[in-house]
Amino acid sequence: MTEHTTERTAPASLELEAISKVYGVTRAIDEINAQVPAGEVTVIVGPSGAGKTTLLRIISGLDTPTTGRVLFDGSPIKGVPDGLAMVFQDYSRSLFPWMRVEDNVAFPLRRGVEKAERRRRVLEALQAVGLEGKERLYPWQMSGGMQQRVAIARALACHPRLLVMDEPYASVDAQTRAELEDLLLEIQTRLNVTVLVVTHDIDESVYLADNIIVMSKAPSTVQEVIRVGLARPRDQIATKEEPEFVHARAHVLRLLRGEAEPEAATPDDTLEVGV
Amino acid sequence: MQLIHEPLSRRSEVVLGVAGVLGSALVLELLIRLEIVTGSGLPLPSAVADQARGLLGDVDFWSQILYTLREWMLGLAIASVAGVVLGGLMGASRTVFKLFALTVEILRPLPAIAVGPLLVLLIGDGMLPLAVTVAIACTWPILFNSMYAAKAVDPVAIQTARTLHVSPLGILTRIRLPAALPFMFTGIRVAASIGLIVAVSAELLLGNGVGIGGYILLASTSASNLDAVYAATLVAGVMGVLVSVLFAVADRLLFGWKAGLAP
Ligand SMILES: Nc1ncnc2c1ncn2[C@@H]1O[C@H](COP(=O)(O)OP(=O)(O)OP(=O)(O)O)[C@@H](O)[C@H]1O
Ligand SMILES: [Mg+2]
Repeated sequence: MTEHTTERTAPASLELEAISKVYGVTRAIDEINAQVPAGEVTVIVGPSGAGKTTLLRIISGLDTPTTGRVLFDGSPIKGVPDGLAMVFQDYSRSLFPWMRVEDNVAFPLRRGVEKAERRRRVLEALQAVGLEGKERLYPWQMSGGMQQRVAIARALACHPRLLVMDEPYASVDAQTRAELEDLLLEIQTRLNVTVLVVTHDIDESVYLADNIIVMSKAPSTVQEVIRVGLARPRDQIATKEEPEFVHARAHVLRLLRGEAEPEAATPDDTLEVGV
Repeated sequence: MQLIHEPLSRRSEVVLGVAGVLGSALVLELLIRLEIVTGSGLPLPSAVADQARGLLGDVDFWSQILYTLREWMLGLAIASVAGVVLGGLMGASRTVFKLFALTVEILRPLPAIAVGPLLVLLIGDGMLPLAVTVAIACTWPILFNSMYAAKAVDPVAIQTARTLHVSPLGILTRIRLPAALPFMFTGIRVAASIGLIVAVSAELLLGNGVGIGGYILLASTSASNLDAVYAATLVAGVMGVLVSVLFAVADRLLFGWKAGLAP
């Protein structure tokens, strides 16, 4: 179990070293080398079937790589790393329907946290996602967007140092999606946590990211890592009008369509290119 | 013809149900009184109802009802523990499944009632062989429901628990069990109705004059007392209805969250 100190600990970093994954005869991931810098938002995009979910499962200790290793704060992971919290796309299946919202959020805190402190952390987490007063509801009595907020609150309640999300907003409407994107960025800044998100939405990837890891189709490798220097706080309208946003968006799209060669780094380019 | 699509409200369901029972009784009463059907020993509803009223004022008959209820509850309790534990483990673990699947398949077709006399030989007289007969019949629906329920627990819920550092034992007790519980309860609910029938049948068959079945057996030995046989049978039927209503209410109260299961 994670040690639950009241003080926030430092955000975690990840290094993916020569990760590959073979399922039977299918080579899903060929070789992934990448960094997830501490305290930043890193977004993974890639074609369907590229192995993004597989990669997240490996990072969160639910699955093991065929070769290679994951370093969490510099040390190789064994099982689910302490300080990692995962948010699944399928909130309705990931939240426990027999528990009220407060019990869902308190679930990871059961051991080692006394009752009053647990209550305080639940309220704090619910407040962080804008769900004060909803603690007595059951998740299935709420809208999809609210349920995903509960799932985020549950992840926050264990004071994670790394928040991993697999297409967290793919099942909510556009308006809710925009709200949840802003919520994520606000929480990330305020709580100083490292965030790793998989998304299919190109706009979302650029809007959220400090770094975008673009994966090729399976057997996948890293095509390019794009550094996004857009100012924070970001704004759903103004940020998306900025030339850098438009440029980055088009670049990611071309990479995914296979129309672009990875850019070479140039000093006056707004895109810094890694790998 | 117009089919009824709207589910009936609870009240009209009850009203129509009672009307159906009274109507059938009335038709039967007329058929016998107008001598459209003839024969000795036919159940005349008014006479049976009269007898039943008499029975319910009879302290001895009440003690037989209580006997049957205790026997039924003991059997159902044994079956619930056995069915939930074995079925749950068979659903949760492939190894346990393989270990017991064949045994279960071999034992399942055995009619519980036929095992009753053997049980009397093995464990002697009294309530226990009757209760065990009930338990054998009740175990199967509970076991199978528990097995499928434990197997069908959402993998996303289990993965979620794993990322939240829940141990394998914790996943069994804190995720699989609560997620499967409503379906296990459905199994118990089905078994409860079966169990009552088996309890009365076993009393009739093993025949040491106890329980409602024993009462029916004794009453039927004198041909003049057939109305008492019908009346006792009627009481057993009404008990069955009460049991299923009780379990339906408990189901709604305990497992209302079933409404929230992902489709
Ligand atoms: N448990 C498994 N057994 C066998 N093959 C698997 C398994 N999980 C994933 N795969 C295969 O690995 C490849 C990558 O799957 P994965 O789900 O990681 O892709 P993804 O990038 O998340 O796709 P999407 O964008 O559609 O979610 C696919 O070819 C998939 O069929
Ligand atoms: Mg995926």
